[in-house]
Parts: sequence; C-alpha cells; structure tokens
Amino acid sequence: MILGVDIGGTHTDAICIKTGTIINSAKVTTDKENLVGSIVGAINELDIDLPKIDRIVLSTTLSTNAIIEKKYGLTGMIASAGPGIDPKNYFLTDNFYLVDGAIDHRGREYVPINRDQITTVAGKLKDKGITGVGIVSKFSVRNPLHEESIYNLISNDFSYISLGHQMSGNLNFSRRINTTYFNTAVMPTQDVFMKSVSGALGKLGIMPQILFLKADGGTYMASAANRLPVETIMSGPAASIMGGAALNKDKGASLVLDIGGTTTDIGLLVDGVPVMEPLGVSIGGAKTLVRGLNVLSVGAGGDSRVYTKRDKLFVGPQRDGPPAAMGGKSPTPTDALAILGVLDFGDAKKAEHALSPLAHAMGKDLKDLAKDILTTLAKGIKQASASFIDELNTKPVYTIHEMLHQELIRPDRVIIIGGPARNLKPYIADVFDIPCIVPEYCEVANALGAALARTTAQITIMADTQMRRLVCPEIGIEKEIPSHYSMDDIKTFGIKALKDNASYLGLTDALDVDVVEAQSFNMVRGFSTAGKNMRLKIQSTPGIIPEWR
Amino acid sequence: MKARYKTGLIFFPAYDWKISPTHPEREERLLYTQDQILEEGLLDIEDIYEFKAGFASEEDISRAHFCVPDVSSRITPSHNISAGGCIEAARHVLEGDVKKAFALVRPPGHHSMRVVHGARGFCNINIEAIMIEWIRHHYPKIKKVAIVDTDCHHGDGSQDIYWHDPNVLYISLHQDGRTLYPGSGFPNEFGGPNAMGLTVNIPLPPHTSDAGFLHVIETLVLPVLDEFKPDLIINSAGQDNHYSDPITAMAFTAGGYARLNDMLCPDICVLEGGYSIEAALPYVNTGIILALAGLDYSYIKEPDLDLDQIRDDPKSLEYIKQLCEQLLIRWHEKDKLKDKYSSGEEYSKRNKSIYYDTDGISETQTEVIRICDECPGVFKIDSAASTGYRILGIHIPHGACKACRDKGYEWFDKPDSEFYAVYLQDMDNDIFKVKK
Ligand SMILES: [Zn+2]
Ligand SMILES: [Zn+2]
Repeated sequence: MILGVDIGGTHTDAICIKTGTIINSAKVTTDKENLVGSIVGAINELDIDLPKIDRIVLSTTLSTNAIIEKKYGLTGMIASAGPGIDPKNYFLTDNFYLVDGAIDHRGREYVPINRDQITTVAGKLKDKGITGVGIVSKFSVRNPLHEESIYNLISNDFSYISLGHQMSGNLNFSRRINTTYFNTAVMPTQDVFMKSVSGALGKLGIMPQILFLKADGGTYMASAANRLPVETIMSGPAASIMGGAALNKDKGASLVLDIGGTTTDIGLLVDGVPVMEPLGVSIGGAKTLVRGLNVLSVGAGGDSRVYTKRDKLFVGPQRDGPPAAMGGKSPTPTDALAILGVLDFGDAKKAEHALSPLAHAMGKDLKDLAKDILTTLAKGIKQASASFIDELNTKPVYTIHEMLHQELIRPDRVIIIGGPARNLKPYIADVFDIPCIVPEYCEVANALGAALARTTAQITIMADTQMRRLVCPEIGIEKEIPSHYSMDDIKTFGIKALKDNASYLGLTDALDVDVVEAQSFNMVRGFSTAGKNMRLKIQSTPGIIPEWR
Repeated sequence: MKARYKTGLIFFPAYDWKISPTHPEREERLLYTQDQILEEGLLDIEDIYEFKAGFASEEDISRAHFCVPDVSSRITPSHNISAGGCIEAARHVLEGDVKKAFALVRPPGHHSMRVVHGARGFCNINIEAIMIEWIRHHYPKIKKVAIVDTDCHHGDGSQDIYWHDPNVLYISLHQDGRTLYPGSGFPNEFGGPNAMGLTVNIPLPPHTSDAGFLHVIETLVLPVLDEFKPDLIINSAGQDNHYSDPITAMAFTAGGYARLNDMLCPDICVLEGGYSIEAALPYVNTGIILALAGLDYSYIKEPDLDLDQIRDDPKSLEYIKQLCEQLLIRWHEKDKLKDKYSSGEEYSKRNKSIYYDTDGISETQTEVIRICDECPGVFKIDSAASTGYRILGIHIPHGACKACRDKGYEWFDKPDSEFYAVYLQDMDNDIFKVKK
C-alpha cells in the first residue's frame, strides 16, 4: 500500500493506493506549526489498515517556506571564483567568504587554494557559532578539486556542509552559490523533520519506506533528501502536474491546468513526461540549479478579485481575501459560481450582494455577469497557456538540425485539476479549441501525484580525452580515461555509474535509465585532432510508477 | 544584477557545422564560449535576454548579393541561420524589445563581397550587409548606418558592398594588410567616387595591444562617428586581435575588447572571426556582453594574462597616433575629395581581381558607376570567374534619382555583352531580378 501526502499551505491531502487503485483520500487543515501533526491527522482520517503501508511519499513546503521566510540558522559560505563577474554580486549573507583559487572552463586549475586562508575563514565562521557551511568554486562541475580540498580542511569543524558540484552538474556559478547556500541552510530543518516523521510513524506502529517529492516531479529516498533537501523546494506544483500525468495517460502533449484559489499553475506533459526548466527553478526571486518542472503560475483562480475599469471586466491577478460567499469583501469567480447555483458550499446571497453593484453599473443581468466573469477567467488562463507554449516553442536551439527539424509543441488536450476544476470546465472548454478533460479525483491530484511519482535522479558526465579525464560531479567521480575513450564507452560507464549509485542518489530502483543529452566535439589543436570533448546527461526516467493501472 | 541597457543575445554556435574537420571554422568553435557564458550566468542577469536565431530568406540575401549561379547553390542552412540570427538581433533592437543586441553566430561574413562566386576567408555571404539591408527595407527611418569592424582581418567584403554608399560608413581597424590576409585595407582605400571618405581604413602594426586600439577608438573612430551621426552603429566584433589568436599577430585583450565596446556603444554587435577558442573567445565574449549591457567588466581577465608581455611598442604607438591624426584630417576634408579626384566624366570605372581562397576560385570584375550629385549613383559589375560564369549585376541604390534609375533599367534590359545571367537590385522598390 502506498500513501501520498501533500502538505500544502492551507490543506494537507492524503491518498491511499493499493494495486493500482485508490482506496481512500482525505483532507485536513494544515497546522503550520506542526506539519508532522498534520501528516498524522491526514493518515488517521484515511481510516485504513496502517500496517499495510509499505511506502509513504511526502510533498512538503517545509524547505520552500524556510527559504522564502528566511527561517534558518546562520549559514556560512566559502567560495573561490577567479576572474569573471565580480563575485560580490552573489554574496547572500555577511558570512560569505571569498577565497583564492581559480579553475577554467575545461577544469584546469590556474590559481591554487590557500590552506591558511581557509583555516582562518573556518575559524571565523566557528567563532560566530555557525554550524552549516556551503562550499562553492567556479567551474567545480568540471573539476571539484577546490571544493573537495576545502571540504577536507574544514569537515571536522561543521555539522552541515554541502558542496556545489553535488547540487547539479549544470554550469552556472551564481545559481550554484544560491543552491548550495539554501541546501546548507535547510539541512538542519530537514534533519529535525525527518526524525520527527519517523518518530510519529513509529508511534502509529509503522515503519514504511519514506520518500520525498522533488521539484522535478520525481521522488527520492529520505537518505538523499537529508543530503540534498533543497531538491524538495517547489514540489507543490510538481505534485499537481504529476497528478495530471497519473490521471490521464494519453500519448501526445497535455497541457495541465491546476486551478486553485489564488493561482493557476500551468505545466506540460509530453507522453506523460513533464517538461522541465532548462537550468533550475527559482525560489523567492533567487535562481537555483534545482531541476524542476517548467510551471507558469498565473494570478487567476477561484478567489481572484473581480473588478471593472472603464467598463471592462477584470479577474485577478490579485486576491483580496476569501470569496464574498465565504465572508470575504470582494467578488470572485467563486461568487459567480455561487450565483449560477453550482457551488456546494458558501452563501449565494452574500455572493449576490457583492456582485449586484457591478451588474448594475454594467447594466447586466446578474447571471449574465456571472458567466462573463467565468469566461474572462477562462480567457486569462488560455492566454497565459498560449504564452507558456509560445515560450517553449521559441526556446533557442544550437544546431542546424534542430533549427530545421524542430517540432513545435501543439497541445493535444487540456487536463484540468484542482478545486474549481469541475465547475469551470464548461467555460474553459469554450475558449480552448482542443478537448478539455476533468479527470476523476481531480481534487486530490496533488496527493496522487506524490504517491505515484517515480524516483528520479540525473547525472552529468564530462569526458575530455585530451586531458584523459572524466568527471561526474553529482556522484563525485573523477577518473582517468584512455585517449581512445568513445561516446559508447561513456554511455556504458554512465549507465552503470547511475545504477551502482542508485541508493546514494535516492533511487529505489534504476530500471528505466535513459540518455537525455549527448554531445561530442572533436578538439583540434594546431591542425590535428587532439582529443574529444564529450558531454552526457543520464537520468532515471521521470513519470508514474508502473504499478499504477 | 540588472543590466543598464536591455540587451539581447542571439547565440547560434552551429554545433553541427564545419568547413572541414580541422578547419578553424568547426563545431567546437563556440563551445567554450558557451561554457563561460553559462557559468558566469550572463543569461540570468535581469534585462539580458536570449533570443532564438532565424532564417534569412533568399530575398534577404539578394538585397546584398549577386549570388552566382544562384542563392541556393552558394549557401548551406548554416549561412542562412547565421544571417538570420543577425536579422533577429536587429529585429529585437528595432522593435524596442531591447536597446542593444549581440549576434553571437557563426559562420562569419565580412569577407563576402557583393558578387558571390564562392567562399573566401571562411565567408560565403555577408551577414552584416544582409542585416543592414533588411533593416533599411523594414525600417526606412534608419537612413544612416555605421559599421565599425574590429576583426583582425580587413573586412574587404563589407568595404566592397558599401564602397559606393554614402549612407553607410565603413570603418575598419585591422592588422596591416602587408602582414595578413586579405592584404587590403590601406588608408588610400577611402570609398567610391560618390562616397569618398566614407570608408575609413586603419591598418595597425602587428603586436598592437590595448593602448593602440583604444587610442584609435578615442581619437579617430569616436570623433568620426560623432560627426557622421549614424542612426545605428554596428560592430563587426571579430575577436582575432586577441594576443592568443593562432592565425594573427596582434596583442589585444579581453578587457580591451570590453573597453572598446563600452566606448563605442554599438547598437548591434555581430561576431566575425576569432579562433583562439579556449584562451580568448570565452573571455572576450563575456566582456563584450557585459560592456554592451552597461555592466562592470573590470574583473574579466584571461587566466594567463601578462600585460607586461604584450604592452604596445612605443614606436608603434607613435605611428598609430600619427596615422589617426592624418585620417582625421582627411575625414574633415572628405567633401573636397570628390572634386579633387573627379575626372569630369559621367562614369567612373574600376577593375578588380578577387581570389576566393576557401574555394580556390579567381574572379575579375569591371565596375562602372554613374557619378551623380543627386543620389548615391547607379552602378554595374561585370564579373567573370574561373568557374566559367560571367554575370552582370546592376545596383540601383536607395534614394536613386530618376536618371540613375532609368540607366539601371536600360543596362538591365540591354546588356552590352553575353552573360550567364543579368541581376538587378532596385533597392527603393525592393525588386530583385535575375535574367538568364
Ligand atoms: Zn578575422
Ligand atoms: Zn543619381
């Protein structure tokens, strides 16, 4: 039996799945001060045979909130940069120390680190009572030497240390700094949370496997989450989009709309696989290297404020408290639904009261206005979807082949999930010219997505046969390779490395592994070929676990 | 970080295109540049945007070239996209999406002349000229354009295309033609009879470094631009002046390139040459992008930079100073040049031999232009190549007067000899004809 629990800002949703079918689902109010209590509450609400739970998958806002609200302890950073953009632009904290050391784009060291300087910095950090330190160097994914040397010098002095090259194999110094800093900052939070979750489950008499949902719509084992807690940020939208993937298994491109109270999250599935951000997700305005779904969040939801300006009707992007039908002051699309009599909650009289002045001013029948509001909301979502797709289709490409043969994404269908999905469907179907589907269980798609997402991981390999070096930063592999090493050799090596390190990476299995990017360049120096420069990305394929239907 | 000027980047490294496996123009050329741009996070800076490249149409190419025997046999998709990338850069600037743009594309184009029988100096078609003609057609408010070519090689193609055009100022800083391909670009090449003084060649001695280059910009290029008042400044941003470039002998640095760009403040940069793909391009391009965006570039530096090793020779600097003074004097007297060199005849003729080193083709040209006080003047080019093709190309310029226009059509209707094809460029009407 698998349990999926999505701990959102307002509600905690839980769902229980056994042999590909949903046994039960539950919704409780989230207690922000006691997330573990909310989890236990939701599990109790499910009313199931607890010992039968083999696995529990958690989607939490714990790290997300800690980072956005800056609720974490003092965290130190030690970084070496060398020439480039002034690294002072990237200082996130007063405890940021820039040290000597420089590595170039091919991973060659040209300024060594200075041991005394690092020991001095470590001393200063310790004196401030800092227990967590992030270590980052420029181009560390090409050569982790400096990060590792610094780590070896200070590893006994701090409880929590993260190294930049382990966060992601992608290039981007400032994002590496952000990611490593946030990861270090939330390590203690994740640590405490994990202990208290196991404790609470123990009290329930169960010891299931615990997984966490990540921003990329995949999950990972708790051990990996302890090492890389930053990957759990922005898992909320990922849960919903993966829920969409579980609820509709049609081939082709599916636009997923998760309509909530404040926002609508727009994502895309291609043959059930979610489309990712090219480099990583952003959090609280900071860009990271955390692999995550490409999700556009627009201020258009059931509780968006409805108003007019020069006789034109607007819905959102602001939210002004709850809908009038629920005791709020401003009219909302939810109030429009109440007036049309399709809502099974709220006070239709209050909704009428809030919308009447607008109807009067516009010289409209109240019901017509209500329909106009919902159509306006639907049009806003359609427009945002179009620009979302447009952005994907105008993404730069770097080869002639891709320029000539790029297939444009044209969604085949819209999958609508979230609270107001069912009631809004007719209006949305009206503005889109492709089929719109509201699947069964759309209200708990998020918990379902968490429960059913596969474990995922990605590794990056860079091999340089001139320098006879191979680096795989995510696993920390550096090795010598023969000068005749080929792309096939690297693929074989990489797939094996991923499988051998499956549990370190947080994978429960590594059955489905694929190469997502492979580039090979002849390196010519003078007038002869000096070697090959090969880059590879290998992943365990994201998607829905095979047990589901 | 936020850019002072909204800046667009068109990055098209053509990772699947080469001239030949070990040629400098090969797949690997922009690989390390991309690594550096990504690692520096340039695309994450607020108000720096990356845009997708595009395709230049046959019509776009025909505005700048007479392609023999036709456009499609002279180019591959890579040239199409390289020129299309420049057009996209211009589009985003002219539509106001960004203030400045950099087309970081390959293959380059500044050795391609108006008549194209093949490839020379790694170039098949002139990507700047195609872009400029696209701009002039789509945005008629752009009347005057200046090209500042900072590639180490003389941009003989760009010079050729704008030789007769008084509305396009061509300035080139390059390694002295006596010491480097293509062997042209001397101060006495200063424009055709209707555009005298509007080609400015500044040949620099080998080993010129930051002081020399920046002196030229400050004391000659900027005053000339100030006076010319272009609506648009294009920088042909070749990067082979770098001290580490394997095929040239100059000593310019990444910091120097950035400073040059900062001073020049071009609207659009277009990558040209530059073959020190590991030691120069990553740093030079980072510097140029930061300078374009109006950001601090003072920390951009090559790992192996040793300024003492590459400092300008005082004698060379003195020579450069004098050259700039002389060229500035001639610039100020350019209006008198027409009278000075006029023979009083209605037509002026020049003969040229052109060698296509990349393709091994020889061409001879006879060019005849009508000396005109009313307009830039109609001209025709009689061109024969070792491939066996002989063509006549007729160019009726932007703003052509009636007499020049009539003459152009007369030449087109009744060619004075046997040609494989007769081409017509009627710029004001955007008409491009080929008669075979
Ligand atoms: Zn060049
Ligand atoms: Zn005329």
